[in-house]
Amino acid sequence: MQLCFFPGCNTPAIRPDVERAIRASMPVLGIELVDADNYVCCPAFGSFPSADEEAWMATSGWNLSIAEEKGCDFVVQCGSCYSSLCMGREHLLHDAEKLTRVNELLEPAGRQVTGKSRVRHVSEVLFKEIGPEKIAAHRKKSLKGLHGVVQYPCHTLFPSEVVGFEESPRAPQGLRRLVEALGAAVDGYSRELQCCGGAGGFMKSTPEQAVAFAKAKFDAILAETKADFIAVSCITCLMHMERVQNTLNEQIGEERYRIPVFDYNQLLALCLGFDPKQVSAICSVPRDSVISRMTDVNPNT
Amino acid sequence: MAEEKPTGTVLVVGAGISGIKAAIELAESGYKVILTDESPQMGGILAKLDYQFPTDHCGMCRMLPLVGREYASQYCMRKSLFHENIEILPFTGIDSVQGNGGNYRVDLRKRARFIDPAICNELGKCIDVCPVEVEDEFNHGLTRRKAVYQAVPHNNPRMLLIDKQACTRCGECLKVCPTGAINLDAQDEVETREVHAVILASGVQLYNTRDFEDARSYAVSPDVVTSLAFERVLSSSGTYQGGAIRRPSDARPAKKIAWIQCMGSRNRRQHRDYCSSICCMFALKEAVLAKQKGGPEVEATIFYMDMRTFGKGFQQYRDKAVEEHGVKLIRCRVQGVMLKPDGSLMMRYHDPETNEFFEKDFDLVVLSTGQIPFEAHRRWADLLKAPLDERGLLATEQPGMVRVAGKPGLFLCGSLTGLTDISEAIISGIAAAGEAAKFLTALGVDTVKKEDIPEPASKARELPLVAVALCRCGEKTGAAGLDYELFRAELTRYPSVGAVQVIDSICKADGEAALLDSLAKTACNRLLIGACQPFIYRRKLKDVARKAGFNSAMVEIFDLFGVARRGMAEPSAADWTLRAAGEIKADIHSLKYKPALQVNTLPINQTALVIGGGIGGMTAALSLADRGVPVHLVEKEGHLGGYLGTRVEHTIDGLAPVALAADLRQKVLAHKHITVHLNCEVEKSLGTLGRFESQLRFKNNGENKYLHHGAMIIATGGREGATTEYGYGTSEKVLTQAELKRGLTDGNVDVSEVENVVMIQCAGSRQKEGRRYCSRICCLGAIGNALEIKEKNPDARVFILYRDVMTYGFYEQYYTKARAAGIIFVNYSPDAKPRVEMAEGRPVVKFTDPVLKEEMELPADLLVLSTGVDPGESNQGLADALNLSLTEDGFLAEADSKWRPIEFQKVGIYLAGTAHSPMPLKNVLLQAEAAAQKAYTYLSGRELPTAAVTSMVKDALCARCRRCVNICPYGARSYNEADKCIDIDAAACQACGLCAVECQNNAAEVRGWGDKQLMAAIDAKLMDRPLASAG
Amino acid sequence: MDLQEVSVKDLWQDVYSAGNLHYCFNCSTCISGCPASHGDPPLLVRNLARKLILGLEEELLDDDTPWACVSCSRCEEMCPMNVMPFEMILFIRQWQCRNDETRVPTAIVEIYKRGYTQAVGVNTELRESLGLPRLNTITNNPEQLELFRAMLMKTRIVSENDYMFGG
Repeated sequence: MQLCFFPGCNTPAIRPDVERAIRASMPVLGIELVDADNYVCCPAFGSFPSADEEAWMATSGWNLSIAEEKGCDFVVQCGSCYSSLCMGREHLLHDAEKLTRVNELLEPAGRQVTGKSRVRHVSEVLFKEIGPEKIAAHRKKSLKGLHGVVQYPCHTLFPSEVVGFEESPRAPQGLRRLVEALGAAVDGYSRELQCCGGAGGFMKSTPEQAVAFAKAKFDAILAETKADFIAVSCITCLMHMERVQNTLNEQIGEERYRIPVFDYNQLLALCLGFDPKQVSAICSVPRDSVISRMTDVNPNT
Repeated sequence: MAEEKPTGTVLVVGAGISGIKAAIELAESGYKVILTDESPQMGGILAKLDYQFPTDHCGMCRMLPLVGREYASQYCMRKSLFHENIEILPFTGIDSVQGNGGNYRVDLRKRARFIDPAICNELGKCIDVCPVEVEDEFNHGLTRRKAVYQAVPHNNPRMLLIDKQACTRCGECLKVCPTGAINLDAQDEVETREVHAVILASGVQLYNTRDFEDARSYAVSPDVVTSLAFERVLSSSGTYQGGAIRRPSDARPAKKIAWIQCMGSRNRRQHRDYCSSICCMFALKEAVLAKQKGGPEVEATIFYMDMRTFGKGFQQYRDKAVEEHGVKLIRCRVQGVMLKPDGSLMMRYHDPETNEFFEKDFDLVVLSTGQIPFEAHRRWADLLKAPLDERGLLATEQPGMVRVAGKPGLFLCGSLTGLTDISEAIISGIAAAGEAAKFLTALGVDTVKKEDIPEPASKARELPLVAVALCRCGEKTGAAGLDYELFRAELTRYPSVGAVQVIDSICKADGEAALLDSLAKTACNRLLIGACQPFIYRRKLKDVARKAGFNSAMVEIFDLFGVARRGMAEPSAADWTLRAAGEIKADIHSLKYKPALQVNTLPINQTALVIGGGIGGMTAALSLADRGVPVHLVEKEGHLGGYLGTRVEHTIDGLAPVALAADLRQKVLAHKHITVHLNCEVEKSLGTLGRFESQLRFKNNGENKYLHHGAMIIATGGREGATTEYGYGTSEKVLTQAELKRGLTDGNVDVSEVENVVMIQCAGSRQKEGRRYCSRICCLGAIGNALEIKEKNPDARVFILYRDVMTYGFYEQYYTKARAAGIIFVNYSPDAKPRVEMAEGRPVVKFTDPVLKEEMELPADLLVLSTGVDPGESNQGLADALNLSLTEDGFLAEADSKWRPIEFQKVGIYLAGTAHSPMPLKNVLLQAEAAAQKAYTYLSGRELPTAAVTSMVKDALCARCRRCVNICPYGARSYNEADKCIDIDAAACQACGLCAVECQNNAAEVRGWGDKQLMAAIDAKLMDRPLASAG
Repeated sequence: MDLQEVSVKDLWQDVYSAGNLHYCFNCSTCISGCPASHGDPPLLVRNLARKLILGLEEELLDDDTPWACVSCSRCEEMCPMNVMPFEMILFIRQWQCRNDETRVPTAIVEIYKRGYTQAVGVNTELRESLGLPRLNTITNNPEQLELFRAMLMKTRIVSENDYMFGG
């Protein structure tokens, strides 16, 4: 299966180890990635979608035309990119007027958009196309004995008609099943579905409240679970959930919040036997406690 | 010789409240009824409800007939029902319906129960040995049951069955069954029946938390239950134990309980743009019960959007729940529930009172899951090849009514007519029965002919000699059966027992013949029959006894297999026999002293009086007159039509009152059976069912007229509410909704230039002073007027200031439509009402926006007040004239708000329309049909048998203190001024015995329940040892 | 607040004509689970809908809270009236930008200049150390970047504010 990889901006610029993890794992699991040459900003919700609908649609159309040209679907890791591209496609598909206008704008660049290429989140591809069984079968290392909690990216859940792929978006199972496929136990907790709070302007406009909001989540993880790590599936969740822990520790002057945060693709690549120095190189909450406890999977058992 | 007409037969599909009521009504009118239900037992949802609003008790048996009550079982209706004209087929589906108009061929699928109830002895050994356990759906999975089970724990007979899906065919049950009643290979049986009419009462689906995505945000633990499941949490046949409400997950007491309203309804996103109507009262009732049953420390919180307390007494119940019971109401729809490891359920909500967010833990969360109508309607439309209307509901001739469009002889009732509570289910059930009865009358079919067996002379004065007939009940004599020889030996020791006969299957034809044969030879003068299920066979066995020369009063039936076994888990034959013999002593002694009972008949004046010539009154009058009943129709005004019929051209839901009234008026005036009396009111009415005499007084000339009739219907309507609030009366720019409606119709109110219209709901209503109640129609009226203004002048801004938008049921769509049209709704609380000041000749309305918490002001070109509905001005006079009572609010007080909503304690008087309470026209029409049907039941025959057992007066002992008159709940006793004695209305008396208890002189007595007789029975029971060992 | 002064209809049409906004009945579903409702001042989605419904133009123009939205779309999913509150927030932001150029997010200038809000593809050393290939970004492709800019220049927001884009 061929998919067009949409890297976004944060991942290649700030967390390229996540990109490395995706590029490493996908071929092992039978997915061939092709590059989205000359892609542009998804566009982020705080940019054109907050300024002008026409420019939003045009930018979306520019990106979608790339996957269409390659004749395959997009695969996206960043939640915001995924949601923005889905929404853009949704708007264009359901409004012939907008579609016509966008194609007028794209025409001088020799581009065209029809909506034929779908936008798929990397966790959807892993969960639905590849499946936890196949992932478990390819493991070289295991998270056995470790406990994790999962952080579902809001952007892959809501609004379910546009972005959803879970059978039950209000009680999602995908990420949990994927982490379990790596051998870890996944602990549920009260605020599992609470947003990380990292996207948009919440953190910028009222940082104190945004940190307090996230603190409730981390306190619940500490009180209610045995979590050795947090598995996320969105670059914003990854960066924010590390940053908030450090902020909280600074506030209280002790290292209470230090649960390693991984993008799922990193855990996957590690379990597939890839070098931690490449696929799990960058973090601000140390990950050794997890990586050192990974065990070898004996192919004969 | 005239051709014999067929007996009118009606199929009623669905044995919930409305279906049962329709079946009883038709059976009482003398028609044959086949009553089916998909589930293994009858009762519908109500089988699960131990407590009902507003009494917080069960009152299901109140729907049993009051007159001629011996034709039906007088028995707890949650256990079962018996009526000789009703054939009950539980666990029966409808495969197909063929034919049309008066000739339907129906394929009934009787589902295999795998246990033959005719053979099963109901001891339940099969249940004990069954190794399969599954969730018990009756308790919503809160408890478990076996694959062999009893569908409803309080059913009697138990009617055991096997759950085919769960059964593993291990065969353990077959090994222990003593009677061979189990057949694991039993198949469904399809039976074709011909009926003249069909009433669909199958109800609608209830939203289930497992089936719907939007419930998943809430149903995160077993401690989140539906409102119906919570009924089982409250029930001792569910999980309620030891005075505490328990969490399903770990049985720990639940102290903090929350209800979340509108689960699954009022949701455009899920294409369910309707209100489920019943959930607000359901939640309030459950919250009150939770407080009562769980102790004072229970906190009950209801999260709601609009608290829809639209019905009679609803608002008062809400006030009581909040003020007396401390139920907390919070107007916020929460997004979801979060489960903590200790099982507590956390919710975040916004409290509009404080404008703050809270996160709070609860022990138990109840989802007020609503009704889902569409599935049931679609299924019926497919089966009947009947069309659906634009809402996706079966099309009826008039919206929300009972006649299916284009399908004569096919009727709907219960929740298929809309989303109904108990009283509306009852009313629609009666109305559907009435429509079916009218249809059968027009078809010319006959009623059931009763075999005329003359009542033999009583031998009460002869020396008592009791014949005992014991049923051997064929197959039921298994290992644990009775020892009949021991039984015979025990009984023959009594000097008053003349003969003991053991007969096989008395309930079957052979057994009947054998009984008749043996009785013909006996010299005994009293008869005691021991058989099973006496509540089913009592009437039939008394008929047999009568044929053999026994007066009905001299016959008793003893429950041989039920009562005698009670509390004995594994009786040996001898134990059981001795127990039964001991129990039966009381009946023998009671029979010895049994007096002769007279079965009287009441002569019936087959004429009706209908009071009120509005749409309701005319509808009721025509319904009766079309069936040949002469009707006097009395109207206080000089013309027919009433309030709606003379003022309102159209209602929001597509009815046209003025046109409807004109049509009815024409039919009434032309009808040969209807006599119209205008300009007069009923001054006084005396008498009882079958023979009322009413005095009419004419307003214009003061003359009186006297009418004689057998029953009467009150349909006197109400009047426009009044208010002095909000500057009403000080400016022509301030008017009532009724005035605006008239103005819009006749053009006197011009809205083409208006900029701002403000409407204020609940003016003078739902408050301690003035009208305490919700008038039910005002929100719809305001929305209708607002939409009309928007239609005439799209630029006009219309603000509706409301407390709770009472657009229950499918009326919700009009609320949605109004918002879509740009009408702005502003919620206000009764503590902070809008204020109106006059400035430059215009009313300026000041209010606080509930969302922004900002003071707003708006000069209005029109200020329109929803002033509600006041009770009719003649209600008090009418109540006095008829000896009825009024509610505190001045409406006529019905016998029971849920179960007998259009009746009074006094039999023969019925209620329709706004005289009962404010209601939309649709409900008026249903009530009018229902009231006519109730009256017709009694007016259809020349005479009516009264019950044999009624109260009596021993005149010589009577002190005329009249305490019995005051205490009688049925109005059956009255003081006869002329003869200076107590009169008893034998039709109204229900033999409850209150008079006998109240009377200080033993002058009041219930026939057949005299002191001597009862004492003898009690003495016999108190004898401490069985006769055999007494020596 | 004198409601006489405000115009209900114009504001709706101006801001969010295609929406289902009118259907809002203030049930509070949107706010009860909204992350940004924890802020100070809180983002109260239903209050934004209310301002639109009541036509409170000035108050809406001055309102900063739409920019605190985390775009999680919970409100969009849960709203029983299908008001689509998240889209409403985006349309309010767009309307604010149309009426107040200081609201225009600088992120769009970044995108215009280099295709992204971040400096993508310039961290070659780090990428190489991780074994990652060079990215064919538009920043590094002047021909495509020019076509992209030309396209944006035809949209209203860019052409009307061309001074921001170095035009």
